[in-house]
Amino acid sequence: MNKNFNFIAVLCCIIFVLNTSSFAFCAENADLSLNKEQALIKDEIVENILKERTVQKPYVHLNYNYKSTIKIPVRISAKERIKSENDVYVGQVIEFEAENDVFYKGKLKIKKGDTIKAKVGTIITSGMNGIPASIIFEDFEIAGLSRGQISNSLEVFGQDRSLIVFPLKWALTILPPTGSLTNFIMGGHVKIKQGKTFTIHYCPEWL
Amino acid sequence: MFKKFFLLALVMFFPTASFAIEEVQVDSTKEAAVQKRLNDVGISILNSNKIDGRIVFVYDKTEVKEKLKLDKTLLDREVVVYGYDYKFVEDDNELAAFLSRRIAEGYRSYPGLFKGRLNSLKIKAAPKKYQIIFDKIGLDYMVRAGYNPVAMITLVNKSHPQKRGDSLTNNVTSKRLAKMYEHICIKYPYYLVNNEYEKNKSYQNFLLTSVNNRKMLEEKLKTRSRKELNYE
Repeated sequence: MNKNFNFIAVLCCIIFVLNTSSFAFCAENADLSLNKEQALIKDEIVENILKERTVQKPYVHLNYNYKSTIKIPVRISAKERIKSENDVYVGQVIEFEAENDVFYKGKLKIKKGDTIKAKVGTIITSGMNGIPASIIFEDFEIAGLSRGQISNSLEVFGQDRSLIVFPLKWALTILPPTGSLTNFIMGGHVKIKQGKTFTIHYCPEWL
Repeated sequence: MFKKFFLLALVMFFPTASFAIEEVQVDSTKEAAVQKRLNDVGISILNSNKIDGRIVFVYDKTEVKEKLKLDKTLLDREVVVYGYDYKFVEDDNELAAFLSRRIAEGYRSYPGLFKGRLNSLKIKAAPKKYQIIFDKIGLDYMVRAGYNPVAMITLVNKSHPQKRGDSLTNNVTSKRLAKMYEHICIKYPYYLVNNEYEKNKSYQNFLLTSVNNRKMLEEKLKTRSRKELNYE
């Protein structure tokens, strides 16, 4: 009986050690930051160009409260003509004009004719398959209103020819390779005439 | 004799079974923690950017996406983070980089004709073009949500291979990185001047491997040219 007990006890120990050892492997966190002694590669664009400019911390929208459903449309029109997306560059300030008075709780918030500035955020060039070009305007600035209360962005598109291209492509699949030729139909450029109106939204209760 | 074997089997079975249960519990707790992290970062990006379309985030610990599985970003507006992608993420900025790019893709499928189906079709028809667009919009989303956009460079640099030449569906990674860097340089120079990632090995590796592309950009910035650069 004693022999049996010893045998089982030894076996228990072996199994326990084997089981626990499998858990002993733990992954080390790879430290990807460089040691102080290692030489850093300097970025010449930062050293020679950006550090000479005054740079501001970009707008960050961390405080928000979306409980209110009040959303007032603001009609704006372009002050200048934009012939195509190639006419503008990222970061360019574009001026719009308010087309209507905007009141909230009896107070005039936006006056008709007020200048509303926006920046060109992203330019998307026209592509194959009739995909149109577009310009994304962002960072709308209206005097007296916080950015959190105004629409984030406004995207203006060129002529969308994909509506013609896709059905045509499918219709021509029975005559290969004519369907593939429709790939070469390009989308339209962004054309904004002076005075062309767009709508953004003003949410007075938002932060 | 039978008793002896029974006892032996019992002794052998117990520890392994208990460890197996423990392992499953540890796994599910880890998964829940990762899922919570995804939700925290993802939803703060949605809220900060006033994204008014629903997009959800799901963690799938499987190593690689199965080839036959459909991409749910455009169809279901669901951002799936696979174990393969997640293992490259070191901090919240890098996680935000991964998610914001996919959010940009998912949100693009909301507006437009046929409840956004036409937009989704356009993205599928020109994936290469939209890859760069979503990188740029993703960077904008990151900044507005308070994350450092340079993290997108470090993440993509270490997680995307440099395939030979441009394919029909994907840009060469070095080209994508150069476009991201240009976007940050022009719109958010603050993050390059006050660069948290300057000492990061992946960022330093990007600087090392992008000398020619950065030279081109330096020239463009000096001459104030608006020409689209043809990065390598």
